[in-house]
Amino acid sequence: MSTFDRRYELMPRAQLEQLQLERLQALLARLRRNVRRYREKLGEVRLDSLGDLAALPFTDPEEVAASFPYGLFAFPLREVIRLHSTLGPEGRPLVIGHTRNDLAQWGRLVARQLAASGVTANDVVLICLGGAIHPGASGYVLGAEFIEACVIAEDALHIDYELAMLQTYRPTVLITSPSNALTLIDTLEKRRLDPQSLHLRAVLLSRPVDQEFRAQLAAGLFAAVQCNFGISEILDPGLCVECEAGQLHVHEDQFFPEICEDELILTTLGREAMPLLRYRTRVAAELRRGKCPCGRTGAMLRTGARLDRRFRVKETCFYSAQIAGILAQTRAAGHRFLIEDSEQYLRLAIEISKDLFAGTLSGAEDPKRDIESELSAHLGIEADVRFVESLPHDQIGVTSPHSTFDASDTLPRVV
Amino acid sequence: MLLQVKNLRCGYGSLEAVRRASLHVCAGEVVGLLGANGAGKSSLLRSIIGLLPPWQGEILIQGRDVCGQPAWRSISHSTVLVPEGKMIFADMTVRENLLLGGYHNPDRALQMEIVLERFPRLRERLRQLGGTLSGGEQQMLALGRALMARPSLLLLDEPSMGLAPKLVEELFAEIVRMKDLGLTVLLVEQNATATLRIADRAYVMEAGEIILEGEAADLLHNPEVRRAYLGNGRKDEG
Repeated sequence: MSTFDRRYELMPRAQLEQLQLERLQALLARLRRNVRRYREKLGEVRLDSLGDLAALPFTDPEEVAASFPYGLFAFPLREVIRLHSTLGPEGRPLVIGHTRNDLAQWGRLVARQLAASGVTANDVVLICLGGAIHPGASGYVLGAEFIEACVIAEDALHIDYELAMLQTYRPTVLITSPSNALTLIDTLEKRRLDPQSLHLRAVLLSRPVDQEFRAQLAAGLFAAVQCNFGISEILDPGLCVECEAGQLHVHEDQFFPEICEDELILTTLGREAMPLLRYRTRVAAELRRGKCPCGRTGAMLRTGARLDRRFRVKETCFYSAQIAGILAQTRAAGHRFLIEDSEQYLRLAIEISKDLFAGTLSGAEDPKRDIESELSAHLGIEADVRFVESLPHDQIGVTSPHSTFDASDTLPRVV
Repeated sequence: MLLQVKNLRCGYGSLEAVRRASLHVCAGEVVGLLGANGAGKSSLLRSIIGLLPPWQGEILIQGRDVCGQPAWRSISHSTVLVPEGKMIFADMTVRENLLLGGYHNPDRALQMEIVLERFPRLRERLRQLGGTLSGGEQQMLALGRALMARPSLLLLDEPSMGLAPKLVEELFAEIVRMKDLGLTVLLVEQNATATLRIADRAYVMEAGEIILEGEAADLLHNPEVRRAYLGNGRKDEG
C-alpha cells in the first residue's frame, strides 16, 4: 500500500473527528468574519459537535451562482492567485478562487491519489484531458510535481499527436477521460498497434466508470485503471482517493461529507479563498464509514446519478436550460423539446408545429442542420435532432423526469 | 492524542475569555497557539493546567478527564506549565528553584544533573539568587525548573516575552531540542514567525475563538496570519 500523507490518510477516527470539529469551528468563525453572505446566514450560531452541523444552513449551487464572481470569496482578490471557472446551475458560470496555500493543498491531495495509483518519482505522467481548458489538468500537474514524477504538461489536442507522444515520450502513467481512453483504444486497433508496445503501467480516469467499462479499458490499454471522482465547485481532482480495494475515500481531513436525502453535501474544512459550508453537490451518493483493507480511515463514497438537469455528452457537461437558450436563437424557439440520449452525442426530439417549417419548402434552409450546427457551435458537442409530432406528456421513455422543456421560457443566456 | 480539548469555555466573572475552543496535541508534537493580546490564549492554558476553572467543555490528557481538577494535580499526569513572566522564586537560589520543580520526583538529584547538563549556564550560577539572573537566564531557569518534573506535556506561556532577539533564537532552539528528545510542547506565543518556524502545527486565536488550524508551514503563508501577525501583505516576503 502506498500512501502519500500517512498522517492524515490513516488518521484514527477519534483524532480525525477531533480535527474535523476544530476545523469546523474555526471555519464558522472565519466565515462569520470574512464572508458577508455567511455572516448574515449564520448569525451567532455555534457548533459543539459534528452532529450540530446538520442544523446549519446549506449552500446551494444557485447561491454560489448568485454571488458570481467574487461574492463568496473570504479574501480580497489580491490574495487569490488562481481562478478556475466551472459550470454552475442551468449553465451559469461559477468562479472558484485559490490562494497559494489552496494550490499547495490541492497538489498534496492529488498526490494522495497518484501515490495510491502507484505513481512514483520514477514515472513519466502524460495528462490528456481534452484541451488546456480542463481545470482539473492543473490539479494533476500540481499533484505529480509533489510526487516528483516527470509531467508532460501538454495536452495533445488530436489523437494522432497523443499516440505519437505515447510512443516517443514513453509515459508510464496516463491521466485521461474515459472517452479519450476509448478513442485511444480504437485508434490502436485501427493501426494494428499492440497496447503493450506503449509503456503504460497505470491509467487514471477523470471520472468514475462502471466495472465492465473499466475492464475494457484496462484490457485495451494493458494497464491498471483507476478512477477519480470530484465536484468541480469543491475540488476536482483531489476530493477523494480510490484505494487498492476499489473504494473511494473522501479526504476527510479537508472535506466533511454528509448525505442528506440521498444528496452528497460537502463542507470544505481547510479552503482559504473560497470556503463552502454544507454545499449541495446535486449528486446522489452513499457514504459508509468502516474498516477498509487499505487502512485509510476516510469515509467510503459510492456515487450515483446527478440530481439536477445536468447532462453529459462524452466529457462535455451542459444543462437543459442551455439547450433551451440555444434553441431560442433558432427556428425552434418556443417549441417543446426532449433530451433523449446523451452519452456519445446529443439526441434531441423537438415537437413540430406549423411555423417550424414555414418558408423552408424551397429547400434553401434545413432546420435540422441549422439547429445541429448551432448546438455544436455553442456547446462543442455532436447533436442529432429529430422532429416529432407530439412529445409524451406522461414522460414514458424519457431519460430524466425533468427533461422536457419549453424553449420559450428561456433561462439565462448561454455562456 | 496526548491533550484533547473540546468546546472549552472559561473566563473571569461575566467576561467570557475563551469561547468554545477545541484543540489537540499529539505525542511528540510542538503545537503553537498564536494570537494577539487578550485573545484568550493564556486563559486557555490556565484552564488546561487547572488554574482557571472551565465553565464548560472537556479536557482530556492521555485520555483521562482532567477538566476542573486543581492545578496541583496536573503533575500527576505529567503536565507542567511554564507561566508567563517566568515566575521564578527571586529570593531562592538557582539550585533551590530547581529542586522545588522536582519536589515530587524521588530522582530529583539525577534529574538536576540532566537539566544542568542541558543548561550549563545554570550550573555556573547554582548558588546565585534567582532574582539576580539576567532575563535570558531566568527563562532558562524557568524551563529547567519545569523539566525537573520530567513532564510529558510542557505548556509554555509566552516564553519569548521580554527577551532580546538573540536570546529568543536560543530559546526556540532549545524547544526544538526538547522536541527531539520526545517532549510534547504546547507553545503560546505572540511571536508568530519564530513559532511557526519550529512548530509542527498551530492554532490562531482571536477574540476567544480559534479561527485557524493548520500545518505551521501553511500558516506562514496564510494571508490572514501574515496580515495580522507577521505585519505584511502578500507581495513582500516576511
